[in-house]
Amino acid sequence: MKSYDGRVNAVDGISLEIDKGEFLTLLGPSGSGKTTTLMMIAGFEEPSSGVIELGGEDLTRRKPYERNIGVVFQNYALFPHMTVERNVAFPLRMRAFPRSQQAERVREILDLVGLRRFADKHPRELSGGQQQRVALARGLVFNPDVLLLDEPLGALDKNLREQMQVELKRIHREVGITMVYVTHDQTEAMTMSDRIAVFSHGTLEQTAPPLEVYHRPRSRFVGEFIGDSNFFTGRVDSGAPGHVELDGVGPIEADADACRRLAGAPVDVLVRPERLQLVGDSELLANRLAVKIGVIVNYGDSVLIIGDAGRQRIRIRIAGAQPDAVREGATVMVAWKAGDEHLIARS
Amino acid sequence: MLPVILAVLGALFLLAPILVVVPMSFSTAISFAFPPPGYWLGYYAKYFTSEEWLEPTLNSFVIALGAMTFTMLLVVPAAFGYVRYRFRGKTLVNLLIMAPLIVPHVVSALAYYGFLGRAKLTGTLLGVMVAHGMLAVPVAFLVISATLKGYDQNLEKAAMSSGAGPFRTFVHVTLPVLRPGMLVGALFAFLSSFNEAVVSIFIGGRAAVTLPKKMYESIRLESDPVIAVVSTLLVGAVVLGVLISMFLRRRSTHAA
Repeated sequence: MKSYDGRVNAVDGISLEIDKGEFLTLLGPSGSGKTTTLMMIAGFEEPSSGVIELGGEDLTRRKPYERNIGVVFQNYALFPHMTVERNVAFPLRMRAFPRSQQAERVREILDLVGLRRFADKHPRELSGGQQQRVALARGLVFNPDVLLLDEPLGALDKNLREQMQVELKRIHREVGITMVYVTHDQTEAMTMSDRIAVFSHGTLEQTAPPLEVYHRPRSRFVGEFIGDSNFFTGRVDSGAPGHVELDGVGPIEADADACRRLAGAPVDVLVRPERLQLVGDSELLANRLAVKIGVIVNYGDSVLIIGDAGRQRIRIRIAGAQPDAVREGATVMVAWKAGDEHLIARS
Repeated sequence: MLPVILAVLGALFLLAPILVVVPMSFSTAISFAFPPPGYWLGYYAKYFTSEEWLEPTLNSFVIALGAMTFTMLLVVPAAFGYVRYRFRGKTLVNLLIMAPLIVPHVVSALAYYGFLGRAKLTGTLLGVMVAHGMLAVPVAFLVISATLKGYDQNLEKAAMSSGAGPFRTFVHVTLPVLRPGMLVGALFAFLSSFNEAVVSIFIGGRAAVTLPKKMYESIRLESDPVIAVVSTLLVGAVVLGVLISMFLRRRSTHAA
């Protein structure tokens, strides 16, 4: 396989470098520019300025059919008048693959997606999940440098979607091809990606591995978009090291390094709901809040408590069954360790 | 239950007069009579052997084929432009395309007569083709633009990312996927020309006699029972045409 790394600079000041073999997810709400970026990589949209490079080669002015890039569309976009086999063979025919190897290659790729038995069927005879696999096979069959996937699981129901996530990861591991995946579903992004690029209003907010994006979001937008969150506003106390003065709450202890870096600055403070613990009076945790419980959502394996600490809305996620003390209208003590929060400088 | 009975009665009311021509075409009567006094195939033999009837039939076929081609040449690019692009005056364009459907045929016929007369096309097959081609524009446009609206343009993107340039994308994907809808549009254009009488009477003159015109003249002058034969054949042809178009449409909706 060719060695390359993709490099994308787009009209809205987007700069992305994609490693070979990487699974990168472009994540963001609709209209945030992620699909536009994908379509520029595919060649269906031309950037008005900036370049798109693949392995050091400038692709910017190349037509889609002159790029070696596969695309899987959300609505599958299978050719309705062709059988599964003909659909998958189509890129080989168009790209003048040696005729003698075409059938073999099609069989190989249909085996990979588990659709060998359906080779002679037409797309309309297949289920949504099977059609998606055909689209995947068609995108992969010609050994593209990159496979682009535009919300490919969006039309599937929840169970099938989870199944296909696992399947897609397996295929990615087996084929080792670079994949760029567009979705607005943060769970999908978290579970599948090597890195996530978070989009908002046509700009790139953060590009990082899933856990980094989750625990150390670079902006309040990212922290709120990915996962459940509690956000406070406050100011890093320059007089008392390792302390932050939270608006409406008072001083808290926080990570010392972060405080030193942001000394005196106004900050957004993120505390994930699962970092909060219910505590008795005796326990010693630095940061505590009295929370009046409003709503309790019981998931069976965990409980989500939504309540208020003064004017601040607080979400708490505790594992296991609902404790006796947790009742609607009751007040509980909630605490977290210094360092379980994340500070984001507010501009 | 009542709605079903009403629907059946309604259908019978509309169909019965048309279906009456079928037994009449096998009748032995020398003029129109129902019920027929006896049955034979004499009038069928007369139709298939008489130059007087075969020539208008052939004319009608030739004109309908020409008109259909003309219509498709106008409508296919128009439908692509109309469905895929936004432009000023789009509503007005739609209205103009639909005009032949709204304007009474007699008025159209009169207008074409003046226009084609100057071009020295009255009384020629080509003149009738052009006029019929214009008349069939609305129905073909409706069918083909509906097909195009239902067509997923991602198919073309998928073809291009598979390595097909614009031409091969059109040949291998766009055209085959749209073919059933195009065929239905063409079939409707053909039938619309084949069945048209008013414009034929105005434009056709002595030289370009179509089947409906011949029928009209025949019924006015001689009440020849061959008309029942022709009518039966025409009804059969139209039913066949509609069945074909239903089949094609089913295929295209399955495909979409």
